[in-house]
Amino acid sequence: MAITDSAADDTLDELLRNKARIIELPDDNNEDEVTGVPFPGNHLRKNGIHHLPQWLQQTTIGLFHDDYNTVSSEALDKTAAECLPHLTGQDNQGIPLNRHGLPHLQRKQHASFLHTPLKGLPAPYAAMDASRPWLFYWCTAGLSFLREDVSMYRERLMETVRPLQNKIGGFGGGHGQLSHCACTYATLLALATVGGLDVIDREAMWHWLGTVKQADGGFRMAIGAEEDIRGAYCAMTAITLLNLPLELPPDSPTREAGLTHFTDRLGEWISTCQSYEGGISSAPNHEVHGAYAFCALACLCILGPPHITIPKYLDVDRLIRCLTTLQTNPEGGFAGRTNKLVDACYSHWVGGCWALLEAAVVGPHEAKQNGSVSSAESRLWNREALVRYLLTCCQQPGPKGGMRDKPSARPDGYHTCYSLSGLSAAQNQYTYNTTASTTDRETGRLLSAFNWKGERASEGDMKGLSVERNDVVELVHPVFVIRFEAVEEARRKFARGGFPVVEGTD
Amino acid sequence: MGKYSEDPLWADIEPLPTDEGGPNPLAAIAYSEEYEETMSYMRAVMAANEYSDRVLELTEDLIDMNPAHYTVWLYRAKTLFHLDKDLREELEWLNETALEHQKNYQIWHHRNLIVDRLDDCEGETEFVEQMFVKDAKNYHVWSYRQWLVKRFGLWETEELEFTERMLREDVRNNSAWNHRWYIVNGREAEGVKGEWDEGLRKRELDFAKNAVGKTPQNQSPWNYLRAIVRTAGVPLASLKEFAEQYASLDRPDSVRSSFALDLLADIFAEEEGGKDKAGKALDLLAAKYDPIRKNYWAYRKSQLGLESSTPEAVVAA
Ligand SMILES: [Zn+2]
Repeated sequence: MAITDSAADDTLDELLRNKARIIELPDDNNEDEVTGVPFPGNHLRKNGIHHLPQWLQQTTIGLFHDDYNTVSSEALDKTAAECLPHLTGQDNQGIPLNRHGLPHLQRKQHASFLHTPLKGLPAPYAAMDASRPWLFYWCTAGLSFLREDVSMYRERLMETVRPLQNKIGGFGGGHGQLSHCACTYATLLALATVGGLDVIDREAMWHWLGTVKQADGGFRMAIGAEEDIRGAYCAMTAITLLNLPLELPPDSPTREAGLTHFTDRLGEWISTCQSYEGGISSAPNHEVHGAYAFCALACLCILGPPHITIPKYLDVDRLIRCLTTLQTNPEGGFAGRTNKLVDACYSHWVGGCWALLEAAVVGPHEAKQNGSVSSAESRLWNREALVRYLLTCCQQPGPKGGMRDKPSARPDGYHTCYSLSGLSAAQNQYTYNTTASTTDRETGRLLSAFNWKGERASEGDMKGLSVERNDVVELVHPVFVIRFEAVEEARRKFARGGFPVVEGTD
Repeated sequence: MGKYSEDPLWADIEPLPTDEGGPNPLAAIAYSEEYEETMSYMRAVMAANEYSDRVLELTEDLIDMNPAHYTVWLYRAKTLFHLDKDLREELEWLNETALEHQKNYQIWHHRNLIVDRLDDCEGETEFVEQMFVKDAKNYHVWSYRQWLVKRFGLWETEELEFTERMLREDVRNNSAWNHRWYIVNGREAEGVKGEWDEGLRKRELDFAKNAVGKTPQNQSPWNYLRAIVRTAGVPLASLKEFAEQYASLDRPDSVRSSFALDLLADIFAEEEGGKDKAGKALDLLAAKYDPIRKNYWAYRKSQLGLESSTPEAVVAA
């Protein structure tokens, strides 16, 4: 993925695949199979083919095949072939079906999968020693998306991250590691999820962020590290959730370049990341990548209301066209790049873009009527197809649970967390309130990101998506990717801004 | 007792063991003794701001055990520069490491720092191309290649042929298309015309059209074509004849590329009185050629002020 310290998704996927997944290897296969239970809906399997959506029918799948095979087309064909039996209901992996014929969301199993790494990890996980904060976030946030209580982790997480916080501000991947935007973001969101934000030294954080802000408007991931769009999103998330002053600290080197605020030249810098294809790249001129689109859009939604900041800095029509084409046929999930393979983590990185974009395009018109920008009417993408992909292809069957990139991959915390948030993006409705204020008059805090409302899937939505109530994931905040309650708590907690004279210790 | 604690060379260092924060840390990693010891010495030298040969060895050990350790990489670069080390030697070591951990981001950032400091990119493009044999779409490697081009002004050398080579290998490799775009258009800020140059534009249009000819349902060259005319300010309609070879409203049963149909919809929409034709193209996409995106095609119709139609009506018509 995309915003781990190790850059693009492939890196982390690779890392997990090679080393860290060892713990998740099933020790025997027999226990995994749930068989022969006459669950309601099973009968649909026989004539299921007739009820398949149009994009899964033979006439559609057979379109456009040419004989000009390349490495890319062979990989694409192979992936389609591995997914189709699941998508069409021929192979449900023994997962109980809901009344619409789709596998149920295996809530209990996925929850237990996410609790497991928090208990401790074997030595090969040293490969993740620099990205352990991500495990805190994926596991606690993922659990909260399943409505699991995570408050029991509060004290322990607060203790655990104390040595990760550096005196100069920010969090590193572990004790004695440099502060890093991605580690800081992941730690912050995990702390917000369990209610442990008190451990953060906000004033030091403010100073440290001043050292990674760049004269061109962007942010470096760490001092001396690369500048890319993840840095911008992670830094602005910290500034806003913690209500840090928007003014650059006096010791920020960027002040010499004439900048006075964290937001200076930021929107303009994000503009330069929109590529010739219309999508967003990690930094100017690089290849379009779905994960960076989310970082760009979410960052713009922190800077201001979606219908104002997104069209101001990005060519929305071209961006929508580009992201639309990342929804893969026939799988229905998203790929990260043009001509690449479907992967469940993009259910969040690309799937999470739509609420923001829909609010951006419907914005001004709808706002006149009722003051809120809803994504219900304008549906730019295929929610039904994403839900089907995630439920049929990405759930690891058996008691250990977990979600995975695609059927041939092993589950891990990263894909489980982002599959769940992708499911939430597809199932629930998110609305931006255009009448709410966008800046706090007293502290100057940017408030736009707090003006979102979530609405759970209605009966009609559920029917349209072929899910039942217990297949629906909790509301996930479309900008900060944690529960709304956690966002609200951070908003209230730091509403007064400023820095305490003596940092509280409890 | 370990490698470092037993070594007299390290006797002056008081290692800093991992602070787990408390008795019950979350997601604690059961480090091997070797990793734990090495990290303890690393923390100690960083705390003392030591830059020395023995620190280089220490970082090498750690990178072997955990190549994603950004802190260690950054500290290694600092140490190398501080000691004014032979950076050619560093590159040789990196070459071996890169082959093992190709997907690791840090390694490419480090290479970038070293080669920048060396101020010489001899052998670099060849090395990068070798990396593409294993994975021709590695995001970091392509980003590094772009940096090389810009930093060392490789625009005119063999970059264009290189992209041709990569695309001959796999015409669907979007990373290679992106690189080609960069080579052609990456210098506009410096006043070097990209697609604005007519001769160059023709060359690029032909190149992309040729790729479509081989693989009509390949999105990459279609994106490329659209971008050329847009960047050059040429009317989209200049691609009409070409697009109609792959999709035509007159032959709605034999569309060979959904991207051609999508492009035609945009072209019709710009024509006088062409909205209805655009609507028909979009309906065809929604109903038959690209139904997974039916909501998007309906949205495009609504942007033109057209009512959405039921798929049944489209198929019947
Ligand atoms: Zn993935």
